[in-house]
Amino acid sequence: MLFLAEDLRFAPPGCGPVLDGVRLVLNPRELVDITGPSGSGKTTLLRALARLLPGVTGTLVFAGAPASEVVPGEWRRHIALLPQRATMRSGCVRHNLSLPWNLRVRGAETRPTDALLREALDGVGLAEIELDRDATKLSVGQAARISLLRVMLTAPDILLLDEPDANLDDASAEQVRAMIERFVDGGGSVVRVRHLRSDDLAARRYRLADGHLSEVL
Amino acid sequence: MPETTAGGVIAISWLQLAMATGFVVFVGILSMRLALGIEKDLAIATVRTYIQLIVLGLVLRWVFGIDSPWIVLAILALMMAAAAQTIVKRAPDAPRGILGSSMLTMLLTGFTVTFAVTGLIVQVDPWYRAQYVIPIAGMVLGNSMNGVALALERTFADMDTHAEEILALVALGASPWEASGDIVRVAIRAGLIPTINSMAAAGLVFIPGMMTGQVLAGADPLHAAYYQIVVMLMVSAATALGSVMAVLLSFRRRFSADGVYLEKGYRT
Repeated sequence: MLFLAEDLRFAPPGCGPVLDGVRLVLNPRELVDITGPSGSGKTTLLRALARLLPGVTGTLVFAGAPASEVVPGEWRRHIALLPQRATMRSGCVRHNLSLPWNLRVRGAETRPTDALLREALDGVGLAEIELDRDATKLSVGQAARISLLRVMLTAPDILLLDEPDANLDDASAEQVRAMIERFVDGGGSVVRVRHLRSDDLAARRYRLADGHLSEVL
Repeated sequence: MPETTAGGVIAISWLQLAMATGFVVFVGILSMRLALGIEKDLAIATVRTYIQLIVLGLVLRWVFGIDSPWIVLAILALMMAAAAQTIVKRAPDAPRGILGSSMLTMLLTGFTVTFAVTGLIVQVDPWYRAQYVIPIAGMVLGNSMNGVALALERTFADMDTHAEEILALVALGASPWEASGDIVRVAIRAGLIPTINSMAAAGLVFIPGMMTGQVLAGADPLHAAYYQIVVMLMVSAATALGSVMAVLLSFRRRFSADGVYLEKGYRT
């Protein structure tokens, strides 16, 4: 077991519980899907796993270490959440892809070279995107792939993906699927929130409803 | 015949006050005729102008007569508290609990800049002379209060607008400052623009208030201009320092201890 979440409980201030004792297990090189009706708290659950949910209680364990023994910044280096909507900061594609290395938490790491960024873009069907291109003028599908590429370049152990192919055209969705598959083949684990389309990537499936997470057999 | 006072100002009698009020009454009638709906606010504002300024005049007359450093300091403290309270009211998007940092900001910038003007530049003797200290403190505090309130409101409103972006950056490992620094910088700049604009337009579009007062009181216009330059520069400095300080002291409050942005719905 690589990752364990147990008895996660969360109720937004003044509201009823969204997570009501959730348990989730993730093994190395495994992709699990979380489905459930919209508004059932799938995004909330992903945020809890990345320790990005203020007010959640419960136990999180990664690689044998409980969350209480790991500082949040370090935790998020291993367990990376990609929010549903791609975020591009003003500036060029190069700036956006190398953004994580401008952060103090990765100050000691060497930033990716242009050659590596170029190769990475080519590998996800974005050969036509120049590194100098204005990142705020990308299409939805391009921005989605670039933000997924950005988080993958930081080489996390676990990726938390919130509907990574929602609102994407078929070609972009297929590229995103291939990127996720390569990430898992390369040794990564993924928790993926899904709404509609299903594919054959998931090893196991969970369903979140009424605050409870149950495995779908 | 209007009588002239020692300072060269032509004194205004109650009759002349009544005439000025007559113009406001005329506007009020106009408002009713055109259904503008401002007559009630106008009446309240007029009454407040009367009461507040007359009370101010009486208080200042009393303070000038007493000539005590403690009274001057007490009045400055009251002015700062009122400014901090106003900032909190004018920045409804800011997190609760910014009264303390607003107070500290007003205290530091207000005291430093006021006494820099009166002590180092104008060299008032004694240092607490109310006739100089209180009006200058009023200008410094009033202007920096506006700038600080604007910068704070802008900071927290913009942070809410960019909550998703902040979340994405924090998820990549960004600290609160790394995730919101760009937004904070833009907000501070926005808070300073009115001040810089008013410096740039001074003397072209309007005669600044303090210079107007001195010229009316019979001062040499060039000397009045020197005074006004000192005050404008110091007021801009106070606004800049105050905005930077207030925003830096308070932006972290919108993040949890774990460095997560507290967007609407996650705030307790």
